Amino acid sequence: MVNLNGIPPRGKRNYYLAIGLEGSANKLGVGIIKHPVLEKHEDSDLSYECDVEILANIRDTYVTPPGEGFLPRDTARHHRNWVVRIIRKALTEAKIDDPTKIDVICFTRGPGMGAPLHCVVIAARTLSLMWDIPLVGVNHCVGHIEMGREITGAKNPVVLYVSGGNTQVIAYSEKRYRIFGETLDIAIGNCLDRFARTLKIPNAPSPGYNIEQLAKQCKNKEKLVVLPYTVKGMDLSMSGILQYIDTLAKDLFKKNLKNKLLFDSRTGEQLVTVEDLCYSLQENLFAMLVEITERAMAHVNSNQVLIVGGVGCNVRLQEMMAQMCKDRSNGQVHATDDRFCIDNGVMIAQAGLLEYRTGHFVKDLSETIVTQKFRTDEVYIAWRE
Amino acid sequence: MSLPHATYTGPKSTHEFEVDPSDPRYQTTEGRTTGASDYVLKQGHQDVDKPSDPKKVDNVNSKTGIDQYTTLSQLRMQLTGLQDDINEYLTEKINHVKKPRNSKQEQEINDLLDGSEET
Repeated sequence: MVNLNGIPPRGKRNYYLAIGLEGSANKLGVGIIKHPVLEKHEDSDLSYECDVEILANIRDTYVTPPGEGFLPRDTARHHRNWVVRIIRKALTEAKIDDPTKIDVICFTRGPGMGAPLHCVVIAARTLSLMWDIPLVGVNHCVGHIEMGREITGAKNPVVLYVSGGNTQVIAYSEKRYRIFGETLDIAIGNCLDRFARTLKIPNAPSPGYNIEQLAKQCKNKEKLVVLPYTVKGMDLSMSGILQYIDTLAKDLFKKNLKNKLLFDSRTGEQLVTVEDLCYSLQENLFAMLVEITERAMAHVNSNQVLIVGGVGCNVRLQEMMAQMCKDRSNGQVHATDDRFCIDNGVMIAQAGLLEYRTGHFVKDLSETIVTQKFRTDEVYIAWRE
Repeated sequence: MSLPHATYTGPKSTHEFEVDPSDPRYQTTEGRTTGASDYVLKQGHQDVDKPSDPKKVDNVNSKTGIDQYTTLSQLRMQLTGLQDDINEYLTEKINHVKKPRNSKQEQEINDLLDGSEET
């Protein structure tokens, strides 16, 4: 039996307030949410129907010049120098004059980059001590899943979690989000971002988005550039694909006429453009994702897919997944837009508040130590049957 | 208002870090060691992530005629300088470890790498 109303809201109110702080990679997000106290939550598995009200969802991204990734030290500096300003902005937007009214402060405990995680948890601890509010440490992946479930209303979907640092196919079973398949090396977003660096295209708003726009401009969609297709059972590998397409791009820029895939050996005519490479890379990678997702759906006998994570807002991925689901009986794809797909504070608040409402929160500051490695299936999901 | 201070303690040395509010290094929120990394700046990065400037109180001090910073801004400036002091001290220690100048230093490095200083 799950009781989401186990801990009453502060001040005998009829709603909960939570603030979420996210900073596991180059996005710094602060979100404030409100959950009404609903009778149906006293004895039910309705954690995807919290009637959440988003009071503020502020995000600031650390952007580097074209061709460059984000270094931990500089990303941490960005978070350190912006966190107070972003929290103030979120409180103003949420019209919260007295922050001590907030029920719980939620922060990302991991997985992610060490230095940025540290900066954000220090802010969370300070607020907790200053306002005397309990803390909840949230697994970043679980944050994505819970936000996706709440926004889309997907009850028990197979989750495809695709971002710059993670690629996992997940399904819920017996109080855990179990990982059915995952990347064996780099994440899909990392693969796309690093290819964007090779192409030296801008990192704003995000490198993956710019690849998607280039892919849309491909004029040769019926003829894909053949790339390695590396599905290994339920897992996938993307580092080899990246290496291969990087070499093709470099040959293209150097005009290496010896490369017969790119140039006609007799006339020297260019056969492939940068747009073609972007399109083929996307098609190849997304086809791999669709394959393992479909297999996971068959395993758990589910007809719902929920796509979360930054790469999840790629429209082409959503289209391909929808096509697969259409071919299966009554399949549905659930996805969210960039407000919730891309890392944000609201998702941390959502997962953290669910945990808080079931009576789990930090009892001692030693429990707030952040960790770079924190697998999705390590979290006990107390708020689901 | 008492001034912030820090102490480094190791098995072989200790170091005290004190703040001198009259020294210009404790009168800014832009630290020398807490800026964007040189590598990123060389790649043409426009630094838009600087810390905010210290805030002045609304009223100018009637006795001195000099602007006063808010208590919190004073603390931020002092901590920035203190952080610089700590970073420089630790960097110096690391450089010392990186470049042995004689056999005695080399021995020290080996001891450090063995983790013997920690025991």
